[in-house]
Amino acid sequence: MRRAWRRTVSEWVEGLRIAVSSLSANHLRTFLTTLGIVIGVMTVIAIVAIIDGLNASFATQIGNLGTHTLYVDKWQWINTRDDWWSMRNRKNMGRAELEAIEREATEALAVAPMAGRATTVAAGDQELSGIRCTGTNERYLETGGGTVAVGRFLGPTDVEFSRSVVVLGAAVADRLFPKVALEDVVGKRVRIRGDPYTVIGVMVRRGRMLGMDLDTNVTIPFTTFLRDMGGKRSITIAVTAAPGRLSQLEDELTGILRRARRVPAEKPDDFSMNRQDQFLKLYNQLTGALYGVAVGVGLITLVVGGIGIMNIMLVSVTERTREIGVRRALGARKRTILLQFLIESSVVAALGGAVGTGLGLGVATLVALLSPLAAAVTPGAVALGLGFSAMVGLLFGIWPAWRAANLDPVEALRYE
Amino acid sequence: MGEPLISIDQLARHYSVGGETVRALDGVSFDIQPGEWVAIVGQSGSGKSTLMNLLGCLDTATSGSYRLNGADVETLSDDQLADLRNKEIGFIFQTFQLLPRASALANVELPLVDRGLPRNERRATAEQALRSVGLGNRMHHRPNELSGGQRQRVAIARALVGDPSLLLADEPTGNLDSQTGEEIVKLFGELNSRGHTIILVTHEPKLAARCPRAIKLMDGRVLGDGPGAEVAALQGPRAVGT
Repeated sequence: MRRAWRRTVSEWVEGLRIAVSSLSANHLRTFLTTLGIVIGVMTVIAIVAIIDGLNASFATQIGNLGTHTLYVDKWQWINTRDDWWSMRNRKNMGRAELEAIEREATEALAVAPMAGRATTVAAGDQELSGIRCTGTNERYLETGGGTVAVGRFLGPTDVEFSRSVVVLGAAVADRLFPKVALEDVVGKRVRIRGDPYTVIGVMVRRGRMLGMDLDTNVTIPFTTFLRDMGGKRSITIAVTAAPGRLSQLEDELTGILRRARRVPAEKPDDFSMNRQDQFLKLYNQLTGALYGVAVGVGLITLVVGGIGIMNIMLVSVTERTREIGVRRALGARKRTILLQFLIESSVVAALGGAVGTGLGLGVATLVALLSPLAAAVTPGAVALGLGFSAMVGLLFGIWPAWRAANLDPVEALRYE
Repeated sequence: MGEPLISIDQLARHYSVGGETVRALDGVSFDIQPGEWVAIVGQSGSGKSTLMNLLGCLDTATSGSYRLNGADVETLSDDQLADLRNKEIGFIFQTFQLLPRASALANVELPLVDRGLPRNERRATAEQALRSVGLGNRMHHRPNELSGGQRQRVAIARALVGDPSLLLADEPTGNLDSQTGEEIVKLFGELNSRGHTIILVTHEPKLAARCPRAIKLMDGRVLGDGPGAEVAALQGPRAVGT
């Protein structure tokens, strides 16, 4: 029993030793053999890393929307062309719905209207166009609208009296007042669409979301917006729930809105409730497909690499026929020879896997340096790459190893 | 004498080549006692290589029986045959059959690897075997750094290292010049006087004549079996004299 165990250990140790010595005797061949595996693993690791990086940056961007907030809207944000036509005919969302929600929704922690349009903002001879102007109330920040850097946000009285006050996005403040310290921007006067406004605060920089710059905007009281920008457009109403109560809030709002908009019982909702995780879902669908394609391509490359390994192993078996004959004559069992060649093909493949992982890491790091993507390499991806390559080596080594093990010792010894 | 080391009875090996049956070995019987030094001699095509492959447990007979040190060889599985070769037989080949990438020491260690001995024990035993054939100072040379005679000594050390009951040498001097061949033959003499059983397969009557016993094969059958000098001189009915 102990003897058999020792024999097995010795088979493995010797197999590994002979494999390493045979591989290092043929540098160029070993290199070429592993190339397929190297490229396959590199592709998988790099693409997985880049997609993981994309995921991370997307999750951060999506985080700009409130996690516990429902965005009540005439439009469903993520839609198909068919949906679009039916939503186009929906009644606009307006003050009536806002007031109904504020009055009746017990699950709502904060309710903020969001009326918006693109406009021009000017100060002195600086004029910026294409700035998003949002009309809202003092609860906006609680629904995930950001944080104030200096000054203050809108207050209830600003909304009540339709004051001409404005909170600037970080990029707007930069561009309108490039030479003024941030603290001193508060109190300055700007013109929005020609009307004079007083700056009461500047928002903290938020970065980008889905290609949209979140810092090129201005925020004014909802009532002021309706007065200066017109009140015919449909608005969005942001409603925040307590953590874990989002679906209860959704149910409650559905009831309130159907009543407020007089939707007959048999008709479907004529409004939509948008939430952050819808974006995540869409995004995951898109990247899931990308992921699948990438992994598919990587696997195909690995299979091609595996065939390369099989080819070289068959050559190696033929070249070493006499050696196999000698080992069999000296008392090596078939199993020993089989193991010997399986170890060798696995070692080649794992070697390729290791090099490929290294190169994949390099590519991912390069991408992270040269692009805004934070390419992240996870230990899981590395384990996947190494594991797969060793498995490919094992799988494609079986046939050559079997051939080696089943050589007739007499023939093998006589082989020239 | 006690139980013979080798006992073969009506051993035959037939091949079929292109639908025809070739009787490479056609009913051969003899015993070999422990400690004997026997030459198996014959011209090419006489069946001596076939017999050697059978005696070496590398091949199995078509019919007949072969007992080696108490084991019925024809009943054994492939793994058991491998183990039997490892334990009972030391091979010495005409072309040495050393692994080119391994040192002399590593080559000699090979049979012990398949026996599962720990590395240090293996090394010590192999060093001992190399010293016993006079190669104590060449252990770490590779085969291509050794002369023909030295290579054959490495091969002999490899055959001896597992302490087998039988040394099976196939034309051991065939690839050596006459002087080196002479040294190897002397080494066999020494080994035999130390108690090793040796079977030497050769086509040279002169070499067979120096062995205490010779078995001469012709056309797959035994032509003669007796003292080396007498048997080696036998001429078969169809043999072409020189």
